[in-house]
Amino acid sequence: MSINNMIKQSRRIARAAVLVLGATVLLGTGSIQAADMGAKNEPIKLAMHEWTGQHITTLISGHVLEKMGYEVEFVTAGYLGAGTAIADGNLTASLEVWDNNLGEFFPKLLSAGKLEDLGDVGLDGKEGWIYPAHMSKKCPGLPAWDAFKSCAKKFASAETYPKGRFLEYPADWGDRSTQLIKAEKLDYTPIPAGSEGAMVAELKASVETETPLVMMFWAPHWILANVDVGWVDIPHEQLANSSMLKPRTFKVVWPGTKGKWPAAYEALKSIKITNAIQEPLMDLVDNQGKDAKTVTKAWVDQNEAVWKPWVQAAM
Amino acid sequence: MSNGRASQRPSALKTGFAPWLFLGVGTILCLLAVDVAPWLKEYPENWVIPLSDGITAAASWFVDNFKWAFRGISWLLNWPMWGVQSVLQWLPWPLTIAFFAIFAHRYGSFRLALFTSLALGYMAVVGYWSESMNTLALVTLSVPLSISIGLALGIVAFKSERTDRVIQPTLDLMQTIPAFAYLIPILFLFGFGPVVGLISSAIFAIPPMVRNTILGLKQVPPAVLESGIMSGCTPRQRFWQVELPTALPQIMIGVNQSTMAALSMVIIAAIIGGFDDIGWEVLSTMRKAQFGNSLLAGMVIALLAMILDRLSWALANQQNVPNRPRDSLISRYKHSFIALAAFIVITILAQLLPAFATYPDAWVFYPADSLNEFVNYIVRNYWSVMESIKNNTLFFIMLPLRNGLSVAINPFTWGFEVTPVMIWGYAIATTLLTLWLYLRKSWRHATGAAVFALFLFFGTTGTPWPVFIGITTLVAYQAGGRRVALFAFFSMAFMLINGLWHPVMLSVYLCGTAVLLSIILGGLIGIWAAHNDTVSSIIRPINDTLQTMPQFVLLIPVLMLFRVGEFSALLAVIAYAIVPPIRYFEHGLRSVPTEIVEAARQMGCTPRQMLFEVKLPLALPVIMLGLNQAIMYGLGMLVIAAMVGTQGLGQQIFLALGKADMGRGIVTGLSMALVAMVADRILQAYSRKRQEALGL
Repeated sequence: MSINNMIKQSRRIARAAVLVLGATVLLGTGSIQAADMGAKNEPIKLAMHEWTGQHITTLISGHVLEKMGYEVEFVTAGYLGAGTAIADGNLTASLEVWDNNLGEFFPKLLSAGKLEDLGDVGLDGKEGWIYPAHMSKKCPGLPAWDAFKSCAKKFASAETYPKGRFLEYPADWGDRSTQLIKAEKLDYTPIPAGSEGAMVAELKASVETETPLVMMFWAPHWILANVDVGWVDIPHEQLANSSMLKPRTFKVVWPGTKGKWPAAYEALKSIKITNAIQEPLMDLVDNQGKDAKTVTKAWVDQNEAVWKPWVQAAM
Repeated sequence: MSNGRASQRPSALKTGFAPWLFLGVGTILCLLAVDVAPWLKEYPENWVIPLSDGITAAASWFVDNFKWAFRGISWLLNWPMWGVQSVLQWLPWPLTIAFFAIFAHRYGSFRLALFTSLALGYMAVVGYWSESMNTLALVTLSVPLSISIGLALGIVAFKSERTDRVIQPTLDLMQTIPAFAYLIPILFLFGFGPVVGLISSAIFAIPPMVRNTILGLKQVPPAVLESGIMSGCTPRQRFWQVELPTALPQIMIGVNQSTMAALSMVIIAAIIGGFDDIGWEVLSTMRKAQFGNSLLAGMVIALLAMILDRLSWALANQQNVPNRPRDSLISRYKHSFIALAAFIVITILAQLLPAFATYPDAWVFYPADSLNEFVNYIVRNYWSVMESIKNNTLFFIMLPLRNGLSVAINPFTWGFEVTPVMIWGYAIATTLLTLWLYLRKSWRHATGAAVFALFLFFGTTGTPWPVFIGITTLVAYQAGGRRVALFAFFSMAFMLINGLWHPVMLSVYLCGTAVLLSIILGGLIGIWAAHNDTVSSIIRPINDTLQTMPQFVLLIPVLMLFRVGEFSALLAVIAYAIVPPIRYFEHGLRSVPTEIVEAARQMGCTPRQMLFEVKLPLALPVIMLGLNQAIMYGLGMLVIAAMVGTQGLGQQIFLALGKADMGRGIVTGLSMALVAMVADRILQAYSRKRQEALGL
């Protein structure tokens, strides 16, 4: 046995000893079960979808994983394609999935066990009917439900007159508002918007021209930081009947994550991104033109107290 | 239309008037029976045979069993993709520009080199360099792939009649089924990533290559073939050394068209993502309804298309130029030497100055905010004008065509109610007009007027389906004979039994209105451009931009001005479908033989007579091709139009996507393709007839 080999072997023994010692210390001191880092050198791929809020959630989570010592790759991925990609393990996770515009793609994969639901994001989501602030001049009783009901004509357009024009979600996001309008026999005609871009464009145009608009929408959304809107007071009972109470935002991971990166899996599970974290950052990015990567990095550097517990739960 | 009068002209009966009379009687019976038999108007839901379930099952089985093979292809394609992408990302930006400019100068002109440099420079200046290079990587790979597959298929189809018969309709399907319809199956098959975008762009880009290859090979003159035989070529030599080189100019047109098609599908790659390209940027800004940002990003795609288009044309024309005498080694390899020098100098500079390696953020000029503010300004100040344009179009054109005058006229729109007296008046006026046309002109004019009056009264959605099917089948029969008629009939039956009749009619109405307006407006512009070189040179880059700029970009200002609804969709479809009429009208009028124009002038034609009696009839075959293309483009835009909230086939495709329902997506996509193919077959047959009549 050459000297070199002997040195190598003794190093290996020493390393093992340190590991064992470290592990015992951890087990002995903390009540938390430590998770293994797993395949540390293989990048964890996080899906970046089409909206800023999701970018912030994902970037913060990613930077935290980087602090833990993981290699993270942020991959742009269409909402739709991401489902198959995560099921195949080509992507590791999508960290902000909304059940109100999901269609049936993710649910099908989730129930088939090809995706794993990792729990809520932590956002306090809201869904309902919004109108731009100038409408309360035309219909002073707003946001009261009865006022909204009787103001239908104030919301009318040439195509829908004498009924009010109601801008509904794109058809493939479901028709909960249409159901509610039908059930309550409201004097409104629902018009499907076709896309999120179309809804935002309508809202912008309505504010510019002070023309009538009421539409189905959700929060948190970046446009709500620029535009002053009111939410129609839909009575609780009606909300519940039309399953419009609260959209759920949750995290979805590849089922193999737990086995491959146990510590990352635990961390992702305990990460909670609240409105209070997301909204100011969203404002910096969308309204002040800052770079999302830079602002989230800065946030992670300044808010160790917030994210340390997520990591401690894992390591 | 009494039989007595008709029998005075027995010739009319022989030429095909009789079936129209039967159909007319059938239509009246049908309309009278609608109240007792509502199934005539609305195809009942429980008669629907859900083919889509079967297709879903079959597709799932196929995916489960053959996924591995497709994943293999995907894995293989990933490597060159990664390679090209890395090289383009690594190259310092001034070097890439220099290479393109040198290439443009070598095969084109100084002007082309200047244009190429400015266009690529734009991508760096607005800060989209890296995204643009990713898109370029996708295209650099998908174009050679489509070209080689297309060439191979074209050769096989040329050599074997039987293969040709299978390939032709397949090509039609590849071009007319919207990519959104088969997005889910190919996602499952090929897995996530840029390769899916590559595949869908290849599917769309292969057909023009195949078509031009076949056309080129068919056009090889027999004399050339014979000289090949005479000089003792083996069949293989004859093909590779005689036929193929002779067909090359036409094949190069295929290369050009294929490139354009590949680029127009870049946006599909972005919908899937996985690949930080410029299409992704367009989609993200579209989602935020930021017009300025999406215009700046969309311009990149339009400019890339123009660069590749001009370069491939330059290359194609190069083939015809005989080899120039070359005097020395230096001048022979002049461009290669310059390229090498540029490579060395810029690579060294890039090591020293970081600004040469990556375009510095501080130099970025991004005027998105001023563009956005400009749109807001227009919206704020011209809101009421736009509103009245929109309402007038809706009330007086769109609603009558969709729902018919019977529904479209009400106190709110036209200012009065439809009374029974008016209905009778309309019926009597129509009958009188038809009779008058029959006596004065011909039965064709009379039938045309009667059919038009019928659609105007009931609208495309209000016309009973048996009547619609009957009329279309008869038109198909008289234009193209039994085969076209059978094809039209079974296509419509397919849509009907799949329960898609209503969405199909909505799409037919939207697309029909858009194509009609495109032909009128585009025709006028085309006629103007044919007579005025300045107009022609202004309109060409606008056409190029409209065709290659991702259609999403146009939607944002349209939406802000006109809101969600059919009028916005109409404008979006027109913006895309107006290009072929402009191009083909101009091209058709300009290529009327000068001797004929001269002869007509000497006979004393007024300019008006010259246009309507001489030029337009002679240009008709070309114009018909323009009409055909306008229909194809219009239908292609329907899926995009669904994003501004139209109902119809486009929305059905999104619904199928949202439900991840493979079968439904395929059935809907197929219906869209069938609408396009039926229209195409009828128009082609009619155009052939006209050409024969004109002796062309």
